[in-house]
Amino acid sequence: MGARIGIDVGGTFTDFILTRDGAPALLHKVLSTPADPSIAVVAGLAELAAMVDPAGTATAFAASIETIVHGTTVATNATLTHTGAKSALLTTEGVRDALEMRRGIREEQYNNAYTNVKPLVPRHLRAGVKGRLDRAGREIEPLDLAALDAAIAGFRREGVAAVSVCFMNSYANPAHEQAAAARVRAAMPDAFLTVSSTLLPSIRFYERVSTTALNSYVGPRLNRYVEQLVSRLAAAGFRGTLLIMQSNGGVMSPEVARASPALTLLSGPAGGPGAGLFHAQALGYDRAITTDMGGTSFEASVAVGAPLLVNDGEIARHKIALPMLDIHTIGAGGGSIGWLDAGGMLRMGPQSAGADPGPACYGKGGTLPASTDANLVLGYLDPDYFAGGRMRLSLPAAREAIRTHIAQPMGLPVEDAAAGMFRVVCNNMAQGVREVTIKRGWDPREFPFVAAGGAGPIHACQICNELEIPLQIVPRESSVLCAMGMLLSDLRHDFVRTFVAPLAALDWTRLAALVDEMVAEGDRQLEAERIPAGGRRHAIKLDCRYVKQYHEVGVDVPREAIRAHDAAAIAAGLHREHNRLYGYSLEHEGAPIEIINVRVEVQGAVDKPRRQDEAWCDEDPSAALKGRRDAYVPEDGAFRRVPVYDGHRLRFGQRIAGPAIVEQVTTSIVLTGTWDAIVDRHGSFVLYRKGREDLAAPVVASRPQVATA
Amino acid sequence: MNIDPILLSVYARTFKAITDEMSISMQQTTRSPILCEAKDFVTGLYDADGRMLEQTENLPILAFSLAPVCKHVRSKFGDDIAPGDVFFHNDVFSLGNQNNDVAVFKPVFFEGRLVAWTAVKGHQADIGGAVAGGYNPNATEVWQEALRIPAVKVIDRGKLRQDVWDLIFANIRFDIVRHDMQAEIGACTIGERRFVELLGKYGRDHFEAHKEALFDATRRMMEAEIGKIPNGRYSGEGRVYYDGRHEGSQFTIRVDIDVEDRKIRFDYSRTDAQTNGFVNGTFTSSASATILTLLQMINPDIPHNEGMIEPVEIVIPEGTILNASYPKATTFGNHLCPPNADAIQRALAPALPDRVTAGWNNLLCSLTTGIDPGKNDKYVDIGFMGLKGGSGAMRGTDGYDHIGMIDASGGLLDQDYEMFEQQTPHLLLRHEYLTDSAGAGEWRGGLGVETLFRIGSDDTQLVTFGDGDFEPAFGLFGGGAGTLNFIRLTYPDGRTVVPRNKDLLTGVPRGTLYHQQAGGGGGYGDPQRRDRAKVREEVRDGVISARAARAAYGLDEG
Repeated sequence: MGARIGIDVGGTFTDFILTRDGAPALLHKVLSTPADPSIAVVAGLAELAAMVDPAGTATAFAASIETIVHGTTVATNATLTHTGAKSALLTTEGVRDALEMRRGIREEQYNNAYTNVKPLVPRHLRAGVKGRLDRAGREIEPLDLAALDAAIAGFRREGVAAVSVCFMNSYANPAHEQAAAARVRAAMPDAFLTVSSTLLPSIRFYERVSTTALNSYVGPRLNRYVEQLVSRLAAAGFRGTLLIMQSNGGVMSPEVARASPALTLLSGPAGGPGAGLFHAQALGYDRAITTDMGGTSFEASVAVGAPLLVNDGEIARHKIALPMLDIHTIGAGGGSIGWLDAGGMLRMGPQSAGADPGPACYGKGGTLPASTDANLVLGYLDPDYFAGGRMRLSLPAAREAIRTHIAQPMGLPVEDAAAGMFRVVCNNMAQGVREVTIKRGWDPREFPFVAAGGAGPIHACQICNELEIPLQIVPRESSVLCAMGMLLSDLRHDFVRTFVAPLAALDWTRLAALVDEMVAEGDRQLEAERIPAGGRRHAIKLDCRYVKQYHEVGVDVPREAIRAHDAAAIAAGLHREHNRLYGYSLEHEGAPIEIINVRVEVQGAVDKPRRQDEAWCDEDPSAALKGRRDAYVPEDGAFRRVPVYDGHRLRFGQRIAGPAIVEQVTTSIVLTGTWDAIVDRHGSFVLYRKGREDLAAPVVASRPQVATA
Repeated sequence: MNIDPILLSVYARTFKAITDEMSISMQQTTRSPILCEAKDFVTGLYDADGRMLEQTENLPILAFSLAPVCKHVRSKFGDDIAPGDVFFHNDVFSLGNQNNDVAVFKPVFFEGRLVAWTAVKGHQADIGGAVAGGYNPNATEVWQEALRIPAVKVIDRGKLRQDVWDLIFANIRFDIVRHDMQAEIGACTIGERRFVELLGKYGRDHFEAHKEALFDATRRMMEAEIGKIPNGRYSGEGRVYYDGRHEGSQFTIRVDIDVEDRKIRFDYSRTDAQTNGFVNGTFTSSASATILTLLQMINPDIPHNEGMIEPVEIVIPEGTILNASYPKATTFGNHLCPPNADAIQRALAPALPDRVTAGWNNLLCSLTTGIDPGKNDKYVDIGFMGLKGGSGAMRGTDGYDHIGMIDASGGLLDQDYEMFEQQTPHLLLRHEYLTDSAGAGEWRGGLGVETLFRIGSDDTQLVTFGDGDFEPAFGLFGGGAGTLNFIRLTYPDGRTVVPRNKDLLTGVPRGTLYHQQAGGGGGYGDPQRRDRAKVREEVRDGVISARAARAAYGLDEG
């Protein structure tokens, strides 16, 4: 029956989404099991089996699953909590400290108590070995094999589990690294090994050594986890295809993940941006801002045609130069705590009340005012219908926390203080959206805004008010959007080669050969992943800059342009992109251009779930009206009596006028005073600014055509 | 108008987002590694009167001269300020901090009225004068150092004044300076756009009223911080070695700090007189040094606007080494920050033992220029990676390793090694932590570094500027001193040359070995009280030798 399951393992919950052709998607959540996350995966599958067919066996259900796509935070958590493998580094003599120095940055310049991050490899396990290549990759000193062997012997004595090899200028010639790797393999066959020129053959030593060390650091744990997962799933009866979510928004086979575990450092949230784009595409847009607000953090990303990537990401202050989705995270969630700084100004977060004790209104002992407390005071949450009524919230506790810590010191009524907390946290999130839009040269007003996560749709209208965004989408799967996105992701492999060359005197044959080499490598991987030639796509990007600039701009280049030696097309691409990003180009000065890196992205299409359409409903939404209550309307700066709807009873085509609240089990949608909404054919909510009914036209147009007489 | 206390936070956050965005634009589009790699620039937003609204201070020593110059531009041009104008300024005798730090100011208009200014100031790769790059240790007057740019309008109502533009760039050696000044203008334009959007949302009156409230809130915050310092007078000294002209010369910076309730006053009246060389400060570079040192002793979370500065009074008489009189040479002035900071840390140590640090490693820098034989093209390199030593320890925290001088505080980044070998003909042989460089202590100083590279160009010019080769970073409360800086060249014929700390060498041949040590920071507290596990770990890691562990820390094990 074509069952596909997306599984997103988070810190608190493991989310599931099951799609089958011709049936509505099934959403499910179980508590995560951090010690071995695969336990929750298998337990959740068993529960899903019971939901699908109470009479059937879990084994029969598992056998019926065609594909499982899995996002994991194993690598992420190992890095954030510094619990990765005991690792060693083989590098060029004289530069073993680059990994720890991080180019000498202290991110908080005025904070003398701010300490450097603990290195991924301690200094006594970082070995510098004689042997040198120059900037063109020519050997100027042979590799000292005796010193190499001595270092490896030291690693063995120390019980090292993972080894990284990263030598100066290896992007230009991998020979020394390959020789070193061969000796490591021979002497330490059980150790996890990462070779920088294989993982990331591109210039910039610090970025490369950091990425290489990260790969080794998380390697053994991720390998163990994938092995456990594969064997547990097999034992449960699963015979289908398992795919792992990558940081770049694509998926990969478990084999690729095991060789390059650093590709999973953003695996958890990586499904979100693609899912957001999918929903925007349904309305005819090629772009989307996707946001996800949970208990402790808010994530924002942008897609234009595809989710956008960065090549200079960071995790826990370590650089990672593999392409990863440009997801900006800030400490703003339902648990974010409000406080007054020494100047008496209201701040929200980044400290969070977490799940335990949680916001004051949880009644679990928390006394500090959190964002959720403000939402309760503002009437956005029903104390008796939180998580569908599974948890009762205490309004008096919320009021008391806000009174004590915010309202009294500021001389404001509790309601005004709560409204202030709401506006400040929304402003923080709007700044987070600016990070991925305005700072990257995009105008957020031109994007549909997709709001996901339990706390997201409460704040989305106010965030959009700040950013002047006129259109929002709250997907039906809003609470499990990342898991949904995983089912929509294609196989994807990224390749890079450094090729420093002036555009005016380009060795086109060499460039074409590099592209061909990377395309062939990608095709080999897709072949192994059983993707037929017809389902493969290749995209070429050149990192270019004006000569003597230090930072490159990625320019999309058709393969045709390289075949036709079309330098003008490459130059035009750089001028255009530079102008978009930085407000000017040097086209008219005829400034010379150089290429630094050549990149190839290879994608293999996988089958996507087909969603079922609901029937069009002409009735007004009053049947779904649960009642009315007082809620704060930010546009009026006052409380109003607003209607409250049961979101599960609203149907395709029905419209709601703001201000209003739509309650669902996993999330509430707050329509503020300047917003209206319509339900689309998949049960998602499309919100548009009052007077902009035109933005909802695609929803109406998707109404089934009825033959007229 | 009623002040909305909530919107105050919104304004403060938005100002910061604007100056951050301007900073990113600068970093991504400039060409000189001083700007795009080392981030030696500052972006800022000021009100119509030139009062600071917010700044992004990648290199704080430049930061606190922008607001005074903005006020100067405002009063100099008076009514002659129009939408689309752009002003340049670097003149140290009209409140500039250093000749090479060239500022762009752009007025922001809203509904036909001047409401704000955006500004960027960056260290340009060249600014004319006798020596490429601007550091001329033989200079005695400003004209031997640089082209002076008093506040001048280069774009008039959106139209480039080509004659003025050409006059400026005809006096500057490198083309990239022209491009980098365009990048400064571009960043100002980005700030202008965002600011106009912000006012479009709230209106001018609303902004004006809330701006004042924001200054008040920040001033109260600053006053509360100053209130934590016991009232009294505190005095300290820092020393400067060699004025570039007189072998063995030495100067003293003396500060008397008066704290009275919620005000703090820094008085440098007892400081030594100005020198006859280029080792002189300007008022704004010296005041910036004072402010950035003070900011490191208080809550780092405070917004950087005019309200932060109001409770701070700084007195530096003209004619002292920290405030040279016209037309003295001053290019070294930014680098008087370390001894100035030393004086302040020493003065406040008894009053604020939890907030001061031991001494930071002072800067000793070199700049190499020549022709890259592989490319037959000019190169310039400032040896950022080599100059960054360790910071001083404070109570509870070891010094930060390889952070660099206090005026950058970790904002100045190393060149990437492979980019260094791409952009220069040099071959990097070593860049690693320097064993036993950190001052010992219950909390040790930050580690210094050792740098070796083989010079790859013939007839290379090498300029040195800095200090820290006579006096190491000092320890506090029983902590030990860090190590000294040095630079030593070994020519292919075996001859060794140790340049003075302000020097100009020419004709350095290809194949010369460049060797530099940047010292560690000072330690804090009795080394015998340091956690034994930490000492053992650092011996294992080789950043402390077994011998030093015994001698300084009393660790008996092998």
